[in-house]
Amino acid sequence: MRAPAFFAAAIGTAILIFIVGCLIGNDYLFFAGYTVVQFVVLASAWNILGGYCGYVNFGTAAFFALGAYTSVFFHKTFPLPIPVLLAIAALVSGLVGLGTGYLTLRLRGAFFSIATLALAVVLQTFVVNWDYVGGSRGAYVIRPNSVGVFGFELDYVRYLCLIMLLLAAVAVAIARTIERSKLGYGFATIRDDELAAEASGVPTLKLKLIATTLSGALMGMAGAPFPYYIGYVEPASTFGLPYAVNSIAMPLIGGTTIWFGPLIGSILLGVLTQLATVTISSAVNLLLVGALLVGFVIVAPNGLVGLVQQFLRIASPGRPDVRSTGLVAVAGFGFIVGLFDVVFNLAALLASDVSGEAIATAGLVLAALWLVSSYGLMTIRRGSPLLATVAFGLSILLAVVHIWIDRSLGNVALWGVGVAVAIGAIWFLQRRHVQELYQPRLGQPEVAA
Amino acid sequence: MSPLLQAKGLGKRFGGFVALDGIDLDVAEGERLGLIGPNGSGKSTLVNCLCGTLANETGTVTFEGRVLDGLPAHSRTRLGLARSFQLPRPFVSMSVAENLKVPLLYAVDSRAHGHLTPAQTNERCEELLGLVGLVDCAHKYPRDLTQVDMRKLELARAMAAEPKLLIADEAMAGLSHSEVSDIVALLIRLNERGTTVILIEHIMRAVMHFSQRLAVLVSGKKIADGRPEEVIRDPEVERAYLGQ
Amino acid sequence: MDLTADLLLNALVSGLLLGGFYAAVTVGISMSFGILDIVNIAHPGFIIVGSYVAYILNARFGLDPVLIGVVALPFFYVLGAATYQTYHVSFERRGQEALRSLAFFFGLLFITEVVLILVFGVDYRYVSAPYIDKSYTFGLIQLPMRMVVPCVMSLLMLVLLQLFLTRTFLGRAIMAVAQDQQALRLMAADPIKIKRIAFAISIATCSLAGAFLIIIQPVEPSIGREYIGRVFAICVLGGLGSLPGTLIGAMLLGIVESFTATLYGPSWAPAISFGLLLLTLAVRPAGLMGR
Repeated sequence: MRAPAFFAAAIGTAILIFIVGCLIGNDYLFFAGYTVVQFVVLASAWNILGGYCGYVNFGTAAFFALGAYTSVFFHKTFPLPIPVLLAIAALVSGLVGLGTGYLTLRLRGAFFSIATLALAVVLQTFVVNWDYVGGSRGAYVIRPNSVGVFGFELDYVRYLCLIMLLLAAVAVAIARTIERSKLGYGFATIRDDELAAEASGVPTLKLKLIATTLSGALMGMAGAPFPYYIGYVEPASTFGLPYAVNSIAMPLIGGTTIWFGPLIGSILLGVLTQLATVTISSAVNLLLVGALLVGFVIVAPNGLVGLVQQFLRIASPGRPDVRSTGLVAVAGFGFIVGLFDVVFNLAALLASDVSGEAIATAGLVLAALWLVSSYGLMTIRRGSPLLATVAFGLSILLAVVHIWIDRSLGNVALWGVGVAVAIGAIWFLQRRHVQELYQPRLGQPEVAA
Repeated sequence: MSPLLQAKGLGKRFGGFVALDGIDLDVAEGERLGLIGPNGSGKSTLVNCLCGTLANETGTVTFEGRVLDGLPAHSRTRLGLARSFQLPRPFVSMSVAENLKVPLLYAVDSRAHGHLTPAQTNERCEELLGLVGLVDCAHKYPRDLTQVDMRKLELARAMAAEPKLLIADEAMAGLSHSEVSDIVALLIRLNERGTTVILIEHIMRAVMHFSQRLAVLVSGKKIADGRPEEVIRDPEVERAYLGQ
Repeated sequence: MDLTADLLLNALVSGLLLGGFYAAVTVGISMSFGILDIVNIAHPGFIIVGSYVAYILNARFGLDPVLIGVVALPFFYVLGAATYQTYHVSFERRGQEALRSLAFFFGLLFITEVVLILVFGVDYRYVSAPYIDKSYTFGLIQLPMRMVVPCVMSLLMLVLLQLFLTRTFLGRAIMAVAQDQQALRLMAADPIKIKRIAFAISIATCSLAGAFLIIIQPVEPSIGREYIGRVFAICVLGGLGSLPGTLIGAMLLGIVESFTATLYGPSWAPAISFGLLLLTLAVRPAGLMGR
């Protein structure tokens, strides 16, 4: 699909999602959704410099906060409409990105990364000491109730969500366009071997500066509507480390080399984060994110997309066949279920009494089984189909228990669907054609994990 | 006629270690220069300084009459000075064909009259693949290549920049007898089409067959420079490098 | 504010004492980054863990924090060895170092901070020891013991480490592994084992550095982040891998921070080290001593 067509499709999808959200009408959906979509922007922006060029930016919060505090500043001086704030934030953050890059990109990548950390702290210190925007006490930003858009009166929060959705569409489209262009080739050479890139005629410094500026600008734009969304802005949380960790974890978990990697990672982790924060606590949620980050970096460095690509390369080079598509679906299902199971059972574990604890622990074991079997299926480890079958089998048991406890129509329907999926998956995994993929064969290439 | 490439008094230290000690080297246009010397004599450092990967501390490098000092490596490649790396450094996330596209997109395309359409880029890529014998590997990734093919890729990528002067840094290490002959023939063909070539090698058979002129580097100093038959009979060269 | 000689002199002394301590904090990074080329940004995290270990044992058993630091050394050594092994197997062997290893250590730093918050909460913790509240005065100069003791102990640790690196066979092997792994193999020493030992030592220093930290000031989990900038600023200022350079860089930073705090107030302190880092990186990345 050519670039302009993709841009249009992305914007169209964003608007469609918004309309569906309005039809559902749940306000909480918009509140929670805003955060997830915000992370889509941050993750995609981070990935332009981090995934494509290989330069790790620890200072996402700095650029994000720059955008946010630009809005605060103008709110106190001369309130401007959000789109204008977006443009100004892009300019400010972009310039700072350019400046930081110019100072440090001629050095090794590690120094650049440390410099980004330093930048975040320096900027935070400045803001803490700048009373006009609230200093350490913070600043209140009262948002209007609604705003007129093309003749419609939109609730302000929904308006902000629309803005963020459009921004996400733009960010993802930009990422994809770069990836397939001459610029994308240049970025990839910088990531692979900067010395060889230079020798091949790639102007590495110029390209890195482009990446840093673009990445910073997008992050700043993500921050500009934030004060209006949250109502109260203070430095400690706006410059907080969770922004850095999430914007690194999401692309790494999703997959850094392709545009939908950060998209997958941010949606998955974003939803998980909302869930965990609500059911357990934000501290435990952060722990989960950190653990996932470290886990993926060690075990699946190319992210989910990388795992699937690697699997397809071996299981069905060329076009994916039915078998491999089915296996990817099963593994994907198992992985997502496993992740959410971890959160639910952790919540139950921390909240309940002794008998509840036993059930929750069992649930965690099952969740671990899901995760391990999914990983095994994608890395073609022996015994993975068996493990996955066990996991699906146990979940059928669990579903039956749930149906027994609560026989309302909705509950039975929900778990009934689960049982059907599980039965289908078990049948699929026993088929000879699938089983033989996981038997060791002479000459079959070992999957390097 | 002024030389295509000229190094005057080139010097480089690493801490207390003197890697290059006042090297003077002229390379005439269209010539085939061989460069030999024991390990650690500074050959690769010399290449790095000529191409801008390292900055020399003393001396100047001139290319086509233009002083190169301070120019980054990518600019030198665009001006027409390319090199292959001793240990192949392919772009691992790209296929062989894509590896070759990079210099075409960035070095060739940026030249004044060099602009290439996508069709032309593909065409030149195919041509190069055919020239080095990597047509079957076009869509393979570097991790799946044999050692030999990796070296061919390394050379081909340097050639893709369509340089006026190509420096081949030990491109033939570990190759078989016939493979070495193939590469030498390739480089001679390249030279006949107008590219000046500097060949850095240990394989004396290849060096002697290829070189019109031979220079010898020992401990950062150039100890000989002249006709190959005379240079290898030079007693100092025999002592320092060839053995008795 | 009156800029009396008294005030300035004490700022200087404070800075020197602080600098001595900063050197202890940094020496581990000087080894892992300077000698082994591993960007361990989780280092401050390990130091905070050291502080909390000192806190627990001090609160439970009333042991002297410096003593705790010494006793906990072997445990931190093992922790360091395990961390290096994970790092080596996951990254060094695969050759995908840059992005992944940075993310790995960042993740570790983050996890340690969150776990500490979960276990201990965000309250400040401190240790008690007989000398912490004492202060001696020599003329115009005040010497608070809670700063003198860590500084002196830090210098001692530095001297011992320097002697180890330059006078013992193992120490020299560690210095050598940075330069030439091949030559090391020819000497029948296993470079991986040497690197593991060196990294383990660098984490072991965190045990002591953490104890020193909690003597100087009360500690809470997010303090580690402030130290990232300080540590790397000192490393870059003093030149990577040079222990004397680390000491000089640390003293310099300590003095600059001390004067800034005295003249402008402590809320600007974090900006100083990070600002200095940015400046040094931009202007003279090889540091004062160079390498």
